[in-house]
Amino acid sequence: MHRPLRLAALVAAAALTAAGCAAGGSSVSGGGGDKVTMTFLTFETPNLNAKYWDDAIARASAKVPGVTIKKLVAPSIDRTGYAKQLAATGQLPDIMIAVNPNGFAQSGQLAPWTDQELADFTYPHANPIGGKVYVLPFNTQPTPLVYYNKQDFAKAGIAAPPTTYADFLADCAKLKDAGINPIVVGGGGNDTFAATYPWVASVGTDVYQGTPDWLSQRADGKVKFDSPDFTKATQKVADLAKAGYIDTAGLSRSYADTEQAFRDNKGAMYPMGSWFAASADQTKPPFDVGVFAWPSDDGRPTVPAYTGGGMSVSSKAPNVDLAKRWALAFMEDKQNLDASVHADGSIIAIKGYIPPTDMGPVYNETLRAYNEAAASGNVVNAFNSETGDGSLPPGMSDVVNSAAVDLISRHKSAQDTVSFLDAQYDKANR
Amino acid sequence: MAARSTPLRHAPPAGPGPAARRARRWPKVSRALLFAAPGLVIYTAFVLVPLITNVANSFTDLNTFRPSTHWVGLANYRALLDDADFHQALHNTVVLTLIVTILPNVAGLGIAMLLDRSGWFTNALRSVFFVPTVLSAVVVSVVWQKILTDDGLFNRALHAVGVGSPPGWLSDPDLALYSIAFIMSWQVLGFCVVVYLAGLQSIPAELHESAVIDGAGALASFRHVTWPLLAPAVTINTVMLMITGFKAYDYIQVITNGGPGSGTTSTIAFSIVQTAFTGNHVGYAAAMATVMFVGIALLSAGALTVLQRREVTL
Repeated sequence: MHRPLRLAALVAAAALTAAGCAAGGSSVSGGGGDKVTMTFLTFETPNLNAKYWDDAIARASAKVPGVTIKKLVAPSIDRTGYAKQLAATGQLPDIMIAVNPNGFAQSGQLAPWTDQELADFTYPHANPIGGKVYVLPFNTQPTPLVYYNKQDFAKAGIAAPPTTYADFLADCAKLKDAGINPIVVGGGGNDTFAATYPWVASVGTDVYQGTPDWLSQRADGKVKFDSPDFTKATQKVADLAKAGYIDTAGLSRSYADTEQAFRDNKGAMYPMGSWFAASADQTKPPFDVGVFAWPSDDGRPTVPAYTGGGMSVSSKAPNVDLAKRWALAFMEDKQNLDASVHADGSIIAIKGYIPPTDMGPVYNETLRAYNEAAASGNVVNAFNSETGDGSLPPGMSDVVNSAAVDLISRHKSAQDTVSFLDAQYDKANR
Repeated sequence: MAARSTPLRHAPPAGPGPAARRARRWPKVSRALLFAAPGLVIYTAFVLVPLITNVANSFTDLNTFRPSTHWVGLANYRALLDDADFHQALHNTVVLTLIVTILPNVAGLGIAMLLDRSGWFTNALRSVFFVPTVLSAVVVSVVWQKILTDDGLFNRALHAVGVGSPPGWLSDPDLALYSIAFIMSWQVLGFCVVVYLAGLQSIPAELHESAVIDGAGALASFRHVTWPLLAPAVTINTVMLMITGFKAYDYIQVITNGGPGSGTTSTIAFSIVQTAFTGNHVGYAAAMATVMFVGIALLSAGALTVLQRREVTL
């Protein structure tokens, strides 16, 4: 072979070899150590920051020798979208946390958890897909509860949080009359989800309370979004927006800015996931924070919640058993669970777990509100968070998020919104 | 007596045969190929192969999570004709492209003419105008998002000067697209200024002097000397800006995520990513990408043809 060509061929071969090595996320190192490197997909929020993940990874790795974890951080809170992009290029991470398993599971990309592996979990069969569980159901997140500014309530002459929807509307009117914006929402940029919570809560009280498997019925074509109950729930949000009870300025705010807006007293009520409790206890706002469940018409304390949020393991991981052991070690480590409770207000769903005794008042109130609803059988699915059989088809979650913004900004009526959801649902299933 | 053969007067000089000539040329060709190889390999791997794969995918129902993929012919393209979301994305893309092509072009030319002089202050200003161009679009988007949110810096400033209820630049579905067009225009303005400055400085001063001697005023001098000779700069800026506008994705992703509401700022590029990676409809997204590719190619070719026709070569 001619010398320059031979050189080029060598360079090309070396480059291709290097590319081949770099494409995969996992490797088994040579030598006698047999240490397996595995990729772990996380996401960061103001609560779950880099240090939280690094510390938790170190603790799990100490318990399961032979694993080197390479942390991947999703570029936004949408870790499921990022996991899909990685999967499309053959780089699905070996271990993932809080990723919606829909699609991955059905296409055989995830390893199911066995009953034995799930034995320690309180709700071992939460959100199953085809009867199998692909995400460790390690915690329950009420989504949303209503966090409120006690000083604002007092200023508006409201003695106690509302228990019925009629009381809630009356309190909104009192707050508005007192010059206080009643409800803070978010929804800007990538954080559109933060606009959905009044709607998720209304669907909980007006749809799921009466028909817990409503979304599965939608998947079977037995009900539609323009059915009377779903339309009523949607109309409630439209009416709140029309009455000026929801601050539309929030629709351009990021999630972090939305929380800051509540802290800055730009509104009296903040419908948000239970993770806000941790934030409110860690960095106390300049007012006392209370918690109540979004009121239903008949006063039953309905709490929408999602149980899951744990680890999934890729069926193509270099050592699936080892990956599962590491994931379980991560999830069941007491220090990690305590850190998750402290950082993210998690309500741990692992048998025998007792939260740290030094938890703050907002977390304790959150736990009380959840336990109250659970004791009376009033915990329902959180619409738009479901991940098991019958949940929304891929892409629909974003549609719901954007529809919530349209609803609150009064760009679409309630009737137009539910019709839009039906059309998009059919399109997503095409 | 043996006749001495004399070479023919016009006979070609004796030399190596065709085979020998080929052998001598081969090292040159192989050397040229060697130099071109890295570029060719990269271009093939990152442009040609994805392009061809994408076009092939557009005729299938490829889904990220579906094990089997089927040939669907033109079904994806037919579906695009009836897809209101795609039509909205196309409309948004066209509006965005028009603004991003016209606004920085006009403003860039004006600023370049103001900066077409010497002096330390002018040189400093040139750098100032160019700074946004070297920033990442994501950084620019985050900064402007902070400025333009409803309770951001800009509206607070408007409040301070007595504007009671300033517009929701990013939360009003009727305004958000124009806000993004403005942000994109702001970032690419520096590029236009530099290209126009280079164009202005390549115009010989004698031409302007001759025009002045012939009695031309500032406007006539611009119309008959500056503008025709800036044609190459206009071509570069227009084509580059058109492509920038047509493929807008990052600004949308960061600032509005396609909203506020349903697709009010969604562009074709944004819809492609959403459709492929959120909705999992990769085949359908590939059809959208093919339409986008053809659109950009046609627009660029059309603009180049029209603009190059009026270019003046000195």
